[in-house]
Amino acid sequence: MSTDEQAQRSADTPRSLAEALRSRDDASLGALLRARPDLLTPVPNDLTQLATRAATRASVVRALERLDRFAQQVAEALAVAPEPATYEELHALVAGDEGEEGDSAVTAALVRALATLREQAIVWGPDDRLRLVRTARELLAPAPQYPSPTGLGPTVAEATAGMSPNRMQDIVTTAGLPSTHDAVSAVRSLTELFTDRTRMSALLDEAPAESVEVLSRLVWGPPYGQVTADPARHLRWLLDRGLLLPTAPGTVVLPREAALHLRAGRAHRVLQPAPPAVEALREHRPQAVDAAAASQAYMALDTVEELLKEWDEGGPAVLRAGGLSVRDLKRTAVALDVPEPVAAFWVELAYAAGLVASDGEADERYAATPAYDDWQELPAAERWSVLATAWLTATRTAGLIGGRDGKDRTLSALGPHLDRSSAPEIRHRVLTLLTTLPDGASPTPESLIARLRWERPPRGAAAGGSTTPGTAGGSAPMELRARIAQWTLNEAELLGITGRGALSAHGRALLGSESEESPAGPGTHPTPASPAELAAYGARAARLLAPLLPEPLDHVLLQADLTAVAPGPLERPLAETLSVLADVESKGGATVYRFTPGSVRRALDAGKSASDLHAFLAAHSRTPVPQPLAYLIDDVARKHGHLRIGAASAYVRCDDEALLNEILADKRSQSLRLRRLAPTVLAAQADPGALLEGLRQMGFAPAAESAEGDVLITRAHAHRTPPRTAPEPVHDGPPLADATLTGAAVRAIRAGDLASTAPRRATPDAGDALPRTTAAETLATMQAAVLTGEAVWIGYVNAEGAASQRVIAPIRVEGGFVTAYDHTADEVRTYPLHRVTGVAELADD
Amino acid sequence: MRHTGRLAYRKGARVNGPLIVQSDKTLLLEVDHEQAEACRRVIAPFAELERAPEHIHTYRVTPLGLWNARAAGHDAEQVVDALVEFSRYPVPHALLVDIAETMARYGRLTLSKHPTHGLVLTTNDRPVLEEILRSKKVQPLVGDRVDADTVVVHPSERGQIKQTLLKLGWPAEDLAGYVDGEAHRIDLAEDGWSLRPYQKQAVEGFWHGGSGVVVLPCGAGKTLVGAGAMAEAKATTLILVTNTVSARQWKHELIKRTSLTEDEIGEYSGTRKEIRPVTIATYQVLTTKRKGVYPHLELFDSRDWGLVVYDEVHLLPAPVFKFTADLQARRRLGLTATLVREDGRESDVFSLIGPKRFDAPWKEIEAQGYIAPADCVEVRVNLTDSERLAYATAEAEEKYRFCATTATKRKVTEALVRKHAGEQTLVIGQYIDQLDELGEHLDAPVIKGETTNAQREKLFDAFRQGEISVLVVSKVANFSIDLPEATVAIQVSGTFGSRQEEAQRLGRVLRPKADGHEARFYSVVARDTIDQDFAAHRQRFLAEQGYAYRIVDADELLADN
Repeated sequence: MSTDEQAQRSADTPRSLAEALRSRDDASLGALLRARPDLLTPVPNDLTQLATRAATRASVVRALERLDRFAQQVAEALAVAPEPATYEELHALVAGDEGEEGDSAVTAALVRALATLREQAIVWGPDDRLRLVRTARELLAPAPQYPSPTGLGPTVAEATAGMSPNRMQDIVTTAGLPSTHDAVSAVRSLTELFTDRTRMSALLDEAPAESVEVLSRLVWGPPYGQVTADPARHLRWLLDRGLLLPTAPGTVVLPREAALHLRAGRAHRVLQPAPPAVEALREHRPQAVDAAAASQAYMALDTVEELLKEWDEGGPAVLRAGGLSVRDLKRTAVALDVPEPVAAFWVELAYAAGLVASDGEADERYAATPAYDDWQELPAAERWSVLATAWLTATRTAGLIGGRDGKDRTLSALGPHLDRSSAPEIRHRVLTLLTTLPDGASPTPESLIARLRWERPPRGAAAGGSTTPGTAGGSAPMELRARIAQWTLNEAELLGITGRGALSAHGRALLGSESEESPAGPGTHPTPASPAELAAYGARAARLLAPLLPEPLDHVLLQADLTAVAPGPLERPLAETLSVLADVESKGGATVYRFTPGSVRRALDAGKSASDLHAFLAAHSRTPVPQPLAYLIDDVARKHGHLRIGAASAYVRCDDEALLNEILADKRSQSLRLRRLAPTVLAAQADPGALLEGLRQMGFAPAAESAEGDVLITRAHAHRTPPRTAPEPVHDGPPLADATLTGAAVRAIRAGDLASTAPRRATPDAGDALPRTTAAETLATMQAAVLTGEAVWIGYVNAEGAASQRVIAPIRVEGGFVTAYDHTADEVRTYPLHRVTGVAELADD
Repeated sequence: MRHTGRLAYRKGARVNGPLIVQSDKTLLLEVDHEQAEACRRVIAPFAELERAPEHIHTYRVTPLGLWNARAAGHDAEQVVDALVEFSRYPVPHALLVDIAETMARYGRLTLSKHPTHGLVLTTNDRPVLEEILRSKKVQPLVGDRVDADTVVVHPSERGQIKQTLLKLGWPAEDLAGYVDGEAHRIDLAEDGWSLRPYQKQAVEGFWHGGSGVVVLPCGAGKTLVGAGAMAEAKATTLILVTNTVSARQWKHELIKRTSLTEDEIGEYSGTRKEIRPVTIATYQVLTTKRKGVYPHLELFDSRDWGLVVYDEVHLLPAPVFKFTADLQARRRLGLTATLVREDGRESDVFSLIGPKRFDAPWKEIEAQGYIAPADCVEVRVNLTDSERLAYATAEAEEKYRFCATTATKRKVTEALVRKHAGEQTLVIGQYIDQLDELGEHLDAPVIKGETTNAQREKLFDAFRQGEISVLVVSKVANFSIDLPEATVAIQVSGTFGSRQEEAQRLGRVLRPKADGHEARFYSVVARDTIDQDFAAHRQRFLAEQGYAYRIVDADELLADN
């Protein structure tokens, strides 16, 4: 390579990530910011700042995690390649030695993956000088602390860094190489040997079988092994030739170059260049799928309505921590006749769609929102689209309910901590993947999850780069993404977005993807739709769904066993009246109602008359109203309201009807609000005392009656309480002490006083008490002492409250502490300033 | 599949089938639909007809029904196809999955005969065997483990283990077969008569299935189904019936309809203890307990029976259940008008005697003209004020007796009898003193528990001959008496809300009349009392069978006179 060429290259070769970014056009920068939105907050000032931020650990980790499996593998391969690497080197690492002549699929995938990595600013530089962002390299390169995702160990140079030159020369000679003059050249010649396929093969041909067996155990990683102080012969053979290099006492590593030779140059055992296809489990007729989904959609509407009807008159209470109690969820599940997790899903769905919320009263309960009333007015298909779009975009994940969070708290329905920000994206992705199947085909959940895992490998799986896809999962608990995907499949079925597991036409419309459907290459995840787009998609789905939903009927079939069968959904007013007039016995495609005396009475209570009911049934029955049913209504109506109940606070009774007439006719009686219940009885709203008084004023002579009907004799009588004890006196202040106590107290005080006033042993320095100064003085004196380097005398109170005095030489004063050489203790100590009671300069001796 | 039925519910409909599948696993069949018959035929093997009122019949899909269908050779695919094909709305996927899973549980365990170990339980799914062997209820029923998939079952526990496994949800397929029993030649003597088509179907259904229950309305000739089965078995037969009168009638009928002679038929009852090739025993004698043991149960072992017939199987007493469990190697035929058991032990009947092999709704047989149409009327009686007061103050346990036996009811009953003067009339009641009083006022003989069998038969005979036209009977006559010419039945009181009693009583008047006269069935009920509630409960069953009641006020009815 001539100097000219080098100069020219350096001119258009960026020397840093910032420069690389600078050379990119706006569109490509925009793509970077879209792919890594974390770089945008706050908006960087310039490209240098952007580059710096793009290279921070947190951002790189985030970006790496969001790569698909193959892009990750490429990044991993680049991390074990020399820095900078050429495209050919990278290709060799990815495709292996024999892949070179052209596995076109791998090559195409590599080009795409490299483009993604470049776009995301994880890799920069031209094809002949590919560089991985340093942070990414650190994250992905092999380090002794954690194995590389590739299972490769350190290079010969890295592994031999601390080795003695003599030992190095031994290895070189044993490996059959000429000895060199220094360690650096020895490493170079050993590296060259290991990377030279032919010479290396020749060397390995001589190896004992056991040694080869050891190498094959380490080749796909982890590359580290244990050896004893006195290794066996076959291990010795490897150690002598540098095929195993010691890293720590008792630990050896297979150097990267050797491993790559054994792997035929491949960084990964299993390369996953192409996304695993989503496999079809079964294919149904698309019409059957749409029909099944539509009927399930109708069920969904029914269930939500039933739920809110159940909660219509005061739903369950809100737990103090928020959410629904386990018991209330159970009760709801029983009422809806579904398992609890499904009930939790419906409750969460209604919440996500804004149909139910806490009422915010003092004793908080859940209740339907005003939006629910509006929702009910919508046509069925639109009601469904409200639910479906709410579900699609909700971050709340009902599947978590019943489980426990990181702090071992039970996650309750409608409660906190259910938001998973990735949920909408996963739901959308799962449904989009369903569109890749032929119409009417349902996926195998395993293949779907395998695909999702490829598109964004779970954190743990990246470490074991050698594990084959699909073996993960199984008994081990699935990661959140896979669980959400599984829930998505179940919930989509419940909502009628899918039917028999396959995506329905209206479900497809909901994704809004028909035209822009792409074979979802890596990194081309569609961005979630905006609210306006979503509303449009929802409306389109509703239009597709509407003709599939059963049309509401306006009639029922009445039968002599006192049942009514609605052979399909009923028009709303009809259903409402019928649900009052009869009890629902069975639901599904049809509804079976049963008339009972109780249900008929309920209708009469609701203000319907018997003739209303007869007319209603005659109008809505295709068949004559059976005689027993007509009879039942008349029979209940005959008795209904036969007994009348009201409230009165007093009554007037008199055998003389004329007298009662007279009272009622008297204007003065108006204030008593009297009403004639029977010829001889008046009811009053006034209380008995007022009634007595009022009638007396009108010139009558009424007598009061007891509850038993006896005439009450009124006599002045004193009012008495039940037996009561007199209150105990309560003294303010301490109780008075008696003579014994006083005497003992005086003696104690005297003794104490004596102790405190006894003459003290004089202190060596001042002979008086601890020095006392104000806090400001203390600080000033201390600081002065630091400057002068003089010792001072302090009074100090320790944590236990014991006072002492010390002589210290302050070294520094900061943060409320003084660090000083303590002459008393003969060491450097730190004292909190607030514990120093005072300070005094030492008198000059 | 295009269909434009009379009730075209939906414009632009996809499929307009006659069947609606409900979420509680009931199936609603619209009977007026043109495909209704085809649909009924395909769902009958796995779904139980629960209600058959005029427009929509309700079937229920139960695990038991599905397993019975499996036992009869139907598979899940057929069941699912039937539902999908005839359903008006898409069938919930979960339900189809559930059906397939339920049916897949059948046949994992098999009871069979092992050449050396005798009766064994084998599995083709080892975890299932492990699961059931861990159950405390199964452990005492099984013996040694022969190999990983096979375990010995005590032969005497064949019924028990089948019942237990059913309850555990892993029904066993019983391939151990039947013993032929002691051969005895029995032929139908079809001289001038022949089995009706549905009776033939019932016999075939039973014989093909091995054991099971035939459900036919009263008056539809269940005795002949029994005789037909005996003619198929051609073996010694044990017939269990409810009481002695019924036993005599069986004997009478068998002599008349088959090649059997009087000497070949024995009666085993409280009075006679004959054991012959065909023996008719009463439940009562079998369940008589002396000193803690059932001395007459040895009857089951006294001969090598080839067939056991249970008449009125819905009345099968609990001890007979227990013993029937030990009879699993013999063919069993249950006969009944209704499988409703007030004690809810229908599943025991199914698991011990066998699945339902034949079932025909009453209305269907009525339509074929084999049973008489009936006009069912509930007569509501207003109690007098003093009766109402007395009723209000009666003790809770006396309330029913009081309102059921009021004088007003008696008067209405008498008026009804007068109204139908000249027609053969039965007055049926529960309380003896009420019946005695009625008998006195109507000047009619009373048949009750203390009436001797000889006296009963004499009276029945006189009634049959038309010598007497009114007969007052207590509940002793509920079952299996044959009164061909009764055209009016009036029930004045009953065993509370017993639905099967109601069915039996209605059966009294459903036998075809010589003149094709419509039968009448009155229930006299005191208004606004517990009597009315019980009546509603009893009638619900009939309404569900398609026999709708009219409700008429007594005053109106009698004013017509």
